[in-house]
Amino acid sequence: MSALAWLARRLGLYAVAAWAALTLGFALPRMVPGDPAAALLARLQGKAGPEAIAALRAALGVSDAPLVEQYGAYLLALTRGDLGVSVSRFPTPVAELIGGALGWTLLLAGVSVAISFVLGSALGLAAAWRGGVLDTVVGPALTLLGAFPYFWLAMGALHVFGFGLGWFPLRHAWDTSVAPAPTLEFGWGVVRHAALPALTLVGASVGGWMLGMRTSARSILATDQVLLARARGLPTARVVSAYVLRNAVLPHLTGFGMALGFVVSGALLTEVVFSYPGEGWLLVQAVRAQDYPLLQGLVLAITLAVLAANALVDVLTLLVDPRTRAA
Amino acid sequence: MHVRSRSRLVGALALLTGCADPVHDREGDALVVAQETQAAWTRNFNPFLPNGAARWPTRGGIYEPLLVYNRVAGEWTPWLADAWAWEEEGRALRFHLRSGVTWSDGEAFTAEDVAYTFTLLAEHPELDGLGVWRWVEAVEAQGDEVVFGLSRPFAPGLEDLAEQPIVPRHVWVEIADPLAWNNPDPVATGPYTEVVTFTSQVWELGRNPRYWQPGKPAVAKLRFPAFAGNDAANLALVNGEVDWAGNFVPAVGRTFVDRDRAHHVAWSPPVEATVYLYANTTVAPFSDRRVREALSLAIDRETLVTVAMDGLTHPADATGLSDALAGFRDPGVRAPWTDHDPAAAARILEAAGLPLVEGARTEPVDLLVVAGWSDWIRAAQLVARDLGAVGVPVRVRPVDFGGWLDRVQRGDFALTIGWSSQGSTPYAGYRDLMGSGTVRPVGEASGGNWHRYGSPAADALLARIEATADPDAQAPLYDQLQAVFAAELPAIPLFPAPAWGVANTRLFTGFPSPDDPWVTLSPNRPPEPLLLLTALEPR
Repeated sequence: MSALAWLARRLGLYAVAAWAALTLGFALPRMVPGDPAAALLARLQGKAGPEAIAALRAALGVSDAPLVEQYGAYLLALTRGDLGVSVSRFPTPVAELIGGALGWTLLLAGVSVAISFVLGSALGLAAAWRGGVLDTVVGPALTLLGAFPYFWLAMGALHVFGFGLGWFPLRHAWDTSVAPAPTLEFGWGVVRHAALPALTLVGASVGGWMLGMRTSARSILATDQVLLARARGLPTARVVSAYVLRNAVLPHLTGFGMALGFVVSGALLTEVVFSYPGEGWLLVQAVRAQDYPLLQGLVLAITLAVLAANALVDVLTLLVDPRTRAA
Repeated sequence: MHVRSRSRLVGALALLTGCADPVHDREGDALVVAQETQAAWTRNFNPFLPNGAARWPTRGGIYEPLLVYNRVAGEWTPWLADAWAWEEEGRALRFHLRSGVTWSDGEAFTAEDVAYTFTLLAEHPELDGLGVWRWVEAVEAQGDEVVFGLSRPFAPGLEDLAEQPIVPRHVWVEIADPLAWNNPDPVATGPYTEVVTFTSQVWELGRNPRYWQPGKPAVAKLRFPAFAGNDAANLALVNGEVDWAGNFVPAVGRTFVDRDRAHHVAWSPPVEATVYLYANTTVAPFSDRRVREALSLAIDRETLVTVAMDGLTHPADATGLSDALAGFRDPGVRAPWTDHDPAAAARILEAAGLPLVEGARTEPVDLLVVAGWSDWIRAAQLVARDLGAVGVPVRVRPVDFGGWLDRVQRGDFALTIGWSSQGSTPYAGYRDLMGSGTVRPVGEASGGNWHRYGSPAADALLARIEATADPDAQAPLYDQLQAVFAAELPAIPLFPAPAWGVANTRLFTGFPSPDDPWVTLSPNRPPEPLLLLTALEPR
């Protein structure tokens, strides 16, 4: 089978997965008891009668139509790129809400995952190659850091470095005293605001990447080919990059693709602790308020992101691993 | 080598952190308010939407009603209307409007605007959350007065009409679908109407240049940073970045007040509606009044308010009225069932035909409570312990809010802890606790009366109250209603809920406090915040 045919088959698989996820995103909210109009009116604390709820349901477009009919309308709207209108933030379009949060999430979680992956892999490789303090102290320390409950780590960091020492801003994605514009000052504010949440995200995950890389690098190091390469007197850099890294990174890439895909679902706890305006918070709110349209939109966005990341990893694997090309 | 890289790291850190937010030299012209929990703001000032969908000041700072109720004073404050009177033996209600009021765009405020607002409710039932058009027949502007014609005498209707935010006809008449309009630049009569800036993380609302109260508001603008959760808001509050907040602060005395006793104020008078333990009266054995009395006797309310509510409130009495309605309380109404007396509870259950068999008198009963509402969950756990002690085994079942509301409204529960209705009189509360008109069959959603109890004695009294607008004539009727409540025990009152409010008076003065209790400190019940927003001043 040629590489192209292999890719085509993968893409077909992705299409089926996307459809399944869309359908789940449609079905799951409807299995939960209660409905969005009631949740919206809940703040009236019992003052709203069933008549008002019924009128509001109609106005919000909460439908009692047969599920098949609703499903058809849902798919039809999707083909037009219409994600509907949020119920909890009526009448803001879902696409606008997701669009507003997506950039911040990609920036914070995306950069954090990338840093964590590169840093963790480098540390893991070094630990496997050189051993020493890196392997006996740094590795276990980072693993310990990753073992803390994340919200605890984030709130602790916020309390010590943000509140106590005052080194970092306590919340938000940019400096609210600076007008959002493509200026250096605004950009600097964005970096400063992302620094602490990104540090906590990297701190919580880098140990895992390091451990994974160290393990696979160790097993590669023990193989005869590495021994041969060293025996032939190849420079260390070449041995590490061409013989060890290239082989050790393969199982790692899949994990990286998964992590990258889930970036879009947002770093939920990070966003809540640091009041960062990303997708994770939207997701929580959508679930709490039973905001079906927003939930469906988010599920769609997350699904597409995970599938796209997987496709990317497939292509990367194709490039890195010659065996997949030959097969 | 090592030294250099470390110093470089420190240098980068210093650069990164050197210009952290200037926390303690905030500009003093903006009052910072934390009331809503949102990670990102959406620009919506539609006063017909419930709180949460429209931004908080919409109903408590931008748009104004005819009258504003002050729960601490227990009286109506004239607002857009300066006088009101019942006519035609309770079949008509006439409001006289204040003169000299203008909309923030310069147009005059007239009776036509008031009439138009209510006409909108009639044309769009989805806007009429309180259902006023069930008993209003007609609304008419007459000069500087507005007259509501009622289909029957309905004195308790005053508050539903009085607190409706009034919108300008000349703006809203252009809007095809008023529910779906986000109204980004509100034209209103309130003290704050001008949106100064609006971004997803912070927005500011400036004062109305044409406000009808001369010289007010004294504070130039309101500022709303987005806080994604209670913890984030609390951190900002403790850090001196928030002036007024309505969010729950755990152990508020230690974490907030003690940090600056001269300026940090926390005051939560128990004037919100009473929290009840509802027993579904369509389910045996709770249909038996004696069983409900025994459950009430079994509950240790003193421990309940100390442990679950941080001692911020007090046990409910046999009238079930919160402190907001203290003026209506009949001291003559006493019933022993609010005492903690497990022995008496056991005796009554025995007499009600529920003998103790292997340590239990009933099958295990589920007590529904909203997941995540930690104070109520703690209360539920204490109630479960107390009821278990008299032989009624209770399992606490936390349910997600939407599912909880759906189940209690449809009557699909045995026991639950929930809020109650409360208006400016005991009418709404008692109507929803024991009025036959609010009873729906199990399976059909009901806004109030989740426990499904109808009392003919209460019905007669409620009907007489509806027909009498004279407070002196109503007073004895309310006393009798309290007696009926104490005798029939339709639901089990636990404690009046505190109206949560905290303030930092370092930059602004005029906040109420336990020593100066002229209004609640809570921003959570619009339009009440209008009273405070027009009284605050920069220091």
